[in-house]
Amino acid sequence: MSEMHMQETAPVAQQENTKLGIWVFLGGEVVFFISLILLIAFTRLTHTDYDAQFREHLSIPIIALNTFVLVTSSYFVVRALEAISYKGDQKGLRNNMLMIIVLGLIFLGGQAFEWSELFAAGVDLGNTYGSPFFTVTGLHGTHVFVGILWAVYLLFGHRRMPFTKENHLGIENFGLYWHFVDIVWIILFTIIYLI
Amino acid sequence: MEVKNRPNYLLIFIALAVFTLVETLVSYVQQEAVKLPTLIVLAVVKVLLVLLYFMHLKFDSKVFGYLFMAGCVLSIPLILVLMIVMPMIV
Repeated sequence: MSEMHMQETAPVAQQENTKLGIWVFLGGEVVFFISLILLIAFTRLTHTDYDAQFREHLSIPIIALNTFVLVTSSYFVVRALEAISYKGDQKGLRNNMLMIIVLGLIFLGGQAFEWSELFAAGVDLGNTYGSPFFTVTGLHGTHVFVGILWAVYLLFGHRRMPFTKENHLGIENFGLYWHFVDIVWIILFTIIYLI
Repeated sequence: MEVKNRPNYLLIFIALAVFTLVETLVSYVQQEAVKLPTLIVLAVVKVLLVLLYFMHLKFDSKVFGYLFMAGCVLSIPLILVLMIVMPMIV
């Protein structure tokens, strides 16, 4: 392959490599979160008083609303990517990214409220059920927080090289991460709160 | 990535929202034989909708899907160890 030809193809290959890198990372995250889900499953299966001691303190309607908030944020990620990749719409991208940040913050606010209610009810990190619960939901919340920081960077810190119709891989990679965090919550919502 | 014949993302979002509502209502059902399979099926469908459409796995390179599945396969030893250890503890 000539040097000139390599220069022409390199940016495309580099972009695909970045996306591949995100998927490799997400593959690792799958192992990480499955081990955390197993922690919850193990606690529930080895303690028969789960419902009486812990589940009755959980507010399912509030967390269902929080789940809806996170699912909605995923829809805004798709809208953000659509706005820039099909229309090159900078304003649409900005508005949708802003919505993602707001919804992410609302989700974290809902989680903080739930945690404060549990602390008030005497469920804390030293509790048999509190320990795995706070570990798992806390690590998921940390992922949401990292996602919010990532979105803030894309919205405000990336203005020198704005995304275009042709160059929007940064948004796509962020979207993959955010959707993954949403998937993890869909599973946690079912295992911790509903079953 | 650009997707030809783009799916209706709004419809997928509405489906996810409705499934979340149904899940929440089903969680109050007392019969475990109805509750458990329904909740598992709904969660799997929601995960697949996000993976296939929002994350574009349906339209993107299959390699990405294999990488995601690799994470699930790599977790199998963890599950097996748990199944072996649990009867010793309970």
